[in-house]
Amino acid sequence: MNRTLSFSILTALIVFLIGPFLIIVAASLSAGDTLAFPPQGLSLRWIVKVFTVESFRDSFIMSMILAVGGTFVALLLGVPAAYALSRYKLPFGEAVSTVVTLPIIVPGIIVGLALLRYLVVPFSFSIGVALFLAHTALVLPYTVRVVSSSFNNLRSDMEEAAVLLGATRLGAFFMVVLPNIRAGILAAFILGFVTSFNQVPVSLFLSGPGVRTLPIDMLSYMETTYDPSVAALSALLALMSIGIIFLAERFLGFSRYV
Amino acid sequence: MHKKVLAASVFWLMSGALASAEEQTLTISVYGFVQEEFTEALYKPFEAECGCKLVVETGNSIERLAKLEANKDAPVIDMAVFSLADALSAARKGLTDKIDTAKLSNYDKLYDFAKDPNGDGMSVGYTIYKTGIAYRTDKMTVESWADLLKDEYADHVALPNITTNQGGPVLNMIGKALGKESPDLKEAMAAVGEKRDAFVTFYVKSSQLVQLMQQEEIWAAPMGHFSWAGISKLDLPIGWAATKEGDAGDMNAMVLVKGSKNQELALKFMDFWLSTPMQTKIAEMLIDSPANKEVVVAPEIAEKLTYGADVANKLTFLPAATTLDYREKWLAEWNTAVAQ
Amino acid sequence: MFQNRAEALALALPAAVFATVIFLVPVVIVLAEGFRSPAGWTFSAYTNFFSEPLNRLVLVRTFKLGIAVTVVSAIIGYAAAFAIVNLSASGKGRMIGLISLPLMISPVARTYAWIVILGRTGIVNQALQAVGLSDEPIRLLFTETAVFIGLLQLFLPLMILSLISALENMPKDAILAARVLGANWFQVFWKVILPLTREGLVVGGTLVFTGSLTAYITPAILGGSKVLMLETLLFQRVTVANDFVSASVIAFILIAMCFAANLLLKRLATARNKR
Repeated sequence: MNRTLSFSILTALIVFLIGPFLIIVAASLSAGDTLAFPPQGLSLRWIVKVFTVESFRDSFIMSMILAVGGTFVALLLGVPAAYALSRYKLPFGEAVSTVVTLPIIVPGIIVGLALLRYLVVPFSFSIGVALFLAHTALVLPYTVRVVSSSFNNLRSDMEEAAVLLGATRLGAFFMVVLPNIRAGILAAFILGFVTSFNQVPVSLFLSGPGVRTLPIDMLSYMETTYDPSVAALSALLALMSIGIIFLAERFLGFSRYV
Repeated sequence: MHKKVLAASVFWLMSGALASAEEQTLTISVYGFVQEEFTEALYKPFEAECGCKLVVETGNSIERLAKLEANKDAPVIDMAVFSLADALSAARKGLTDKIDTAKLSNYDKLYDFAKDPNGDGMSVGYTIYKTGIAYRTDKMTVESWADLLKDEYADHVALPNITTNQGGPVLNMIGKALGKESPDLKEAMAAVGEKRDAFVTFYVKSSQLVQLMQQEEIWAAPMGHFSWAGISKLDLPIGWAATKEGDAGDMNAMVLVKGSKNQELALKFMDFWLSTPMQTKIAEMLIDSPANKEVVVAPEIAEKLTYGADVANKLTFLPAATTLDYREKWLAEWNTAVAQ
Repeated sequence: MFQNRAEALALALPAAVFATVIFLVPVVIVLAEGFRSPAGWTFSAYTNFFSEPLNRLVLVRTFKLGIAVTVVSAIIGYAAAFAIVNLSASGKGRMIGLISLPLMISPVARTYAWIVILGRTGIVNQALQAVGLSDEPIRLLFTETAVFIGLLQLFLPLMILSLISALENMPKDAILAARVLGANWFQVFWKVILPLTREGLVVGGTLVFTGSLTAYITPAILGGSKVLMLETLLFQRVTVANDFVSASVIAFILIAMCFAANLLLKRLATARNKR
């Protein structure tokens, strides 16, 4: 392919994909009262304001707990399942793997609606608990998939050898297998974290007085106020995500697992 | 570290239950509009006075009604505000309780129209507002509601969606301007439907209008006067239209949710909100026009509000009962004539 | 392979039970709701739903936009993926990083930006007027075009990344061989590249199509109530009217469309294989 052609294609592509994000960053540095590009003067007031909005703080903590806790629980469930799927002749293996990966295919809004209708209302679960369960279910497929591929890349004769040498199966898992798939687990964790943290449709129906995830809070803030603080918050969050990914890539070669 | 995080999250998930044991919590559901101002002016002073915690949910009136109905068996909200039509609907559906006005020390200070707006004892008005047209004075002239439909303007107009509080009243005024006023709003909808592709959007949240005006996406939109403070702050020539049909009027009312365990506290909050100092403060911040007749504001503030019985009497009200009786028909008609 | 079935079940069951109870059962009940009436099982919710012209319009619009976004992202995707696989190793790594970057940014933020860009006073309109392509600002916000642009930006990276890995796995000399044998570029693409990369296309296509169908934020912010899509319609039916029956119908349609797309694309991939 022609060099100039390929260069212009890629430039246009990057402008289209990254440009809007840069505009948000620029708009968030505006000194004016409304979202605008080019920004009207430069100031950090909207960045500062983000930290003073109480609901942002609450929903940020909420989203953090969901993303970290939900992914952690999903790993507790997902790692053994992935191990069973890759190392054992599992009865109904196909069915099990379908069930745990289904949440990826079914639209999130339906999951949220289903939990609201049949968990929160009839069993008076709190919205917070329902959100936690929903986010865990949502992250589960990613953990199973990523960790499975780690297991599949790891030769099984190592643990068999360990067992032959007298280790228990459990001992072999913790001493031989786990250290070798640490990177895969961390990759699954980061992927799950980002997925859960940015998730909107699942949380749409699962919000109640004082209980909201950050993206939902941003949406409703945008609906009522058009100042650049949502842009500032978006920019900050993006920097956080990029930072996490950058570190992961640096130390783990994260992209191999996604 | 994982264990700590897990423990923290379990603690946090339960803390909702714990908090309520420690201190009383009042959960209210209100409009999302200018919550920061409300927090400073109303919520924090009330929390200080009652020594309780206020949890605020926001949304528009119809969404609140739907949510209240969905949670009928286990209500999470103690006190809510509604448009008159939605307040009546909530009462008819058995979602609200009678308000014991003897416990509202400020009740007698209210204008008569706010005391029991639906005549069922289930709601108390806390603000009255007019719905009119804000427009770019440099781009157009607006003398009648029908002007919004003109070919040269429609392209720059946003109208309220039928599901908003402004939807019915605005279509009613358009019908009036076209000389085809009828409670089914059929003619007005047909006229709007004819131009549906031209209108910029049918807004669902009036708070969106500030951005649309600022970006010059629109030149004009009918809106509740409570949006005016935000709009008039923009650095653009925008005026409030003096149409020959006048403005539409509506009221927002407080209700007590049936089955709430905090009705005493909810009544205290209502009383606090209706008190003369509070209503004056909110009026002076140009947020909501007072329902308390003891409120006295300076003339330059008064003209920016829907202030006093004389102004109220000139507005065109669409009775709550009419709205309720026709609402489903409106929605069906809207979906065929306008939305598609 | 270990043979102990009890052990295997003990490992896999917690996840399977969790997914079934928290996810599968509630979703199935929601879907069943659309087929039930006080009188028994029925299709009446579906006939009612489709008799409403607005609903039909929303369905067609959602489908149309989904196809359009998928097709356009495939076209751009091939061009971009080609350019990228021909870069040096370090350049390739950097490009892949840049393309994956937006995937890590909240879709709320990504969609929000378009409000500023596509507005009447936004940079697109300023540029159009500056180069004389239009005399006055054209309306982009709250149109299908805006939703299309938003969705394309959201999902294009998924297509490109799938196509890159497909192109990488393709034997490099296949194109050269075809060129030597006298095929023109169009023939090379149609007869060589497409068949050899169709798996990547299928994966990317499924991700983009189902993503577009089930996006909520983009149509909500950039389309508004004038450009309803299935997902925003579902949300509106529930929040405005507690209309869970319509919600169930829409949910079923969405899931059916996602599964159908999945199956169809898989079928396409294997059918060409057999020839």
